[in-house]
Amino acid sequence: MASAEPEYKSSSTSQPPAGVDYSKVDVILRFLLLAASVVALAVIVSSDQTELVLFQKILVPQPAKFKYSPAFVYFVAAFSVSGLYALVSALASISVIQKPEFKLKFLLHFLFWDALILGIIASATGAAGSVAYVGLKGNSHVGWIKVCNVYDKFCRHLAGSIAVALFGSIVTVLLIWLSAFTIHSRVPK
Amino acid sequence: MEGESKSSVDVIDEGSEGKGKELLVGTCDLVMRLLAFVMTLVAAVVIVADKQTAIVSIKLVDSEPPLDVPVTAKWHYLSALVYFVGANATACAYATVSLVLTLANRRKGKGMETLISVFDALMVALLFSGNGAAIAIGLLGLQGNSHLHWNKVCNVFGKFCHQTTVSLFTSLLGSTAFLLLLVVPPLLRLKRTN
Repeated sequence: MASAEPEYKSSSTSQPPAGVDYSKVDVILRFLLLAASVVALAVIVSSDQTELVLFQKILVPQPAKFKYSPAFVYFVAAFSVSGLYALVSALASISVIQKPEFKLKFLLHFLFWDALILGIIASATGAAGSVAYVGLKGNSHVGWIKVCNVYDKFCRHLAGSIAVALFGSIVTVLLIWLSAFTIHSRVPK
Repeated sequence: MEGESKSSVDVIDEGSEGKGKELLVGTCDLVMRLLAFVMTLVAAVVIVADKQTAIVSIKLVDSEPPLDVPVTAKWHYLSALVYFVGANATACAYATVSLVLTLANRRKGKGMETLISVFDALMVALLFSGNGAAIAIGLLGLQGNSHLHWNKVCNVFGKFCHQTTVSLFTSLLGSTAFLLLLVVPPLLRLKRTN
């Protein structure tokens, strides 16, 4: 192979449009993830509802809160983390657009952290989804009664939050795809 | 342009060293794929084989003595576990296919590599959401939820719960293998050799 300089130059002259486009899409996706995390958090945190429930023949006010279930607490924690990460990484991604010389280093870090965040928020969405499903349908085999007929607002908020969380997970998958495409297009063979 | 040009110099100039690294990346990839395959397979099999019948005494009327009723716990009674099995089975099948594809294309085909990493990312999402769902339901079974009057069931179905825990742990290892599969090969490949 000749010197690396012409190789690098040719790749940089052929790549700029694609590279620049990718970085912009990257920033947009990161802000989408931030928005999704914030919305999911806001909706689930505002889901508290108190209803009168017949308990041993007396009507008792029974509140439903997300913090009563460890799955929802995990959900809130996971999306706080992903929101924070999305903010930081979006800023980092913007700074990479301005200083492209650090792009490769940042790409690897992004890939690693994106994959970790994907694991965290996908499991949080799964956890919240499965508990909410039991709340919606109940389970006669183990005697878990459904509660969504009583706590309708609570369940609506949960459903909305989980839907937004699903969107956030999809955005994270897209982010990883973007990083994978960029890295594979850069690996010389 | 310092960092980028340096690293591209390294990757290009390596020669024999680069071949060695390629081999290392390939072996690493294969071993982790195999691990992921075994773990997800074990997780799916362990939970599908999970079944327990226990005698529960139910008090229907306060004045009468309690009735002893045999109750069976099966994995497909809980939709979260059904999803978990589905996710693990899908990941297991995909691990087999991707193992064959990676073995078939060891030298050529960068496009195939990209395609495989695209699907790897999907599998990470699928497996982790399945794990999250099953762990949340398992925790509910272990502790119950007093606020919603959902009773814990693991005091009755001890063996069932233990087997589920084993399966969950194995599946968690399998999904970590997929996660590493997504991250480690690019890291190894693009890292400067020193």
